[in-house]
Amino acid sequence: MIELLAITDDPVAPPPPLRLVPAGPVAVVVGPAPEGEVDAEALWDRESLLEDLVDERALLPIRYGTRVEDDAAAAAAVVPRGAELAAALERVRGAVEVSVRAITPEGEEAGDVGAVHARLSGLAREHARHDGPEPLRAAYLVDRAGVDVFVAAVRELQQEHRGLSILCTGPWPPYSFAEPR
Amino acid sequence: MKDKVLAAPLNGDLDAFERKIPHLSNALSRRIDADPESVQQGLAQLVLTIVELLRQLMERQALRRIDGGGLTDEQVENLGRTFMELDRAMEELRDHFGLEPEDLNLDLGPLGRLL
Amino acid sequence: MSKTSQAIAEREVALVDLVDRLLGGGVVIAGEITLAVADVDLVHVSLRALVSSVEKARPQEP
Repeated sequence: MIELLAITDDPVAPPPPLRLVPAGPVAVVVGPAPEGEVDAEALWDRESLLEDLVDERALLPIRYGTRVEDDAAAAAAVVPRGAELAAALERVRGAVEVSVRAITPEGEEAGDVGAVHARLSGLAREHARHDGPEPLRAAYLVDRAGVDVFVAAVRELQQEHRGLSILCTGPWPPYSFAEPR
Repeated sequence: MKDKVLAAPLNGDLDAFERKIPHLSNALSRRIDADPESVQQGLAQLVLTIVELLRQLMERQALRRIDGGGLTDEQVENLGRTFMELDRAMEELRDHFGLEPEDLNLDLGPLGRLL
Repeated sequence: MSKTSQAIAEREVALVDLVDRLLGGGVVIAGEITLAVADVDLVHVSLRALVSSVEKARPQEP
């Protein structure tokens, strides 16, 4: 079994043990399917591989745990969606994902997460707000070159909105912007 | 390893952003052949087992407090009513998922039965 | 908080963001998706959360 890790359109071979399987206008980055126990370290290692790749090319991460029998099966699974995946790659090219979560700590008045989200959306190509335990849980697709400005804005917003506790993590490969709309 | 936190709260308190992630190995690598319904059933069984365990622990603790004295009549009555309610709620939930009381008594192998 | 425990806490919250993305994000390709099966290990919930989830799960009165 092989694991499907990401979609890309860059023909340059990734470092072993990863391989590229052509699939129409795009290609699939595949690797050996991991066996046995998965722990945090294994996840970070896998993430590290993906992040090294995304530093050098446009990439759409594939949902964790996607496995198929072999290269032929990988190509067969991806080719039917080749055109829309190629379009999705265009949307994310040159950008990374930044995560923001904001909560109102106990004892504070409800913070204005709408204002935070509005300001940050303005600095991103795209945004995706998710349901979750936090009042604000969102992902922003930010130009690589714009990440510093984005983070600076987060810090300013934190200063402005003392009633909020804001956590910003990243940069991540564009997990929340990988599925074509 | 790359540091992923770009900006943290001013007081540095990250507790509210943590979430206990269930045993990662189980969450991410175990394959299921079962259909969605039996997965839901299995989950219900587990959650209810835990709830039942806690209910029994709480009841035992409450009885110890009652025996030890120092509670008003009203408090004792409230406790009694609460546990009756919990018992009834548990029964409803078991019925809802088609589970018998024995279904909630997990076999922990060398550790024996849970309840 | 010491530098090390802060670093550990940061790693942990980043792991939450990572796992959310791994399980909820990414392209969904038809394949053999391996999923979670709850296990006895899954006991990391507070009592309050459990009690409130019992309340929510109760079949509603008509």
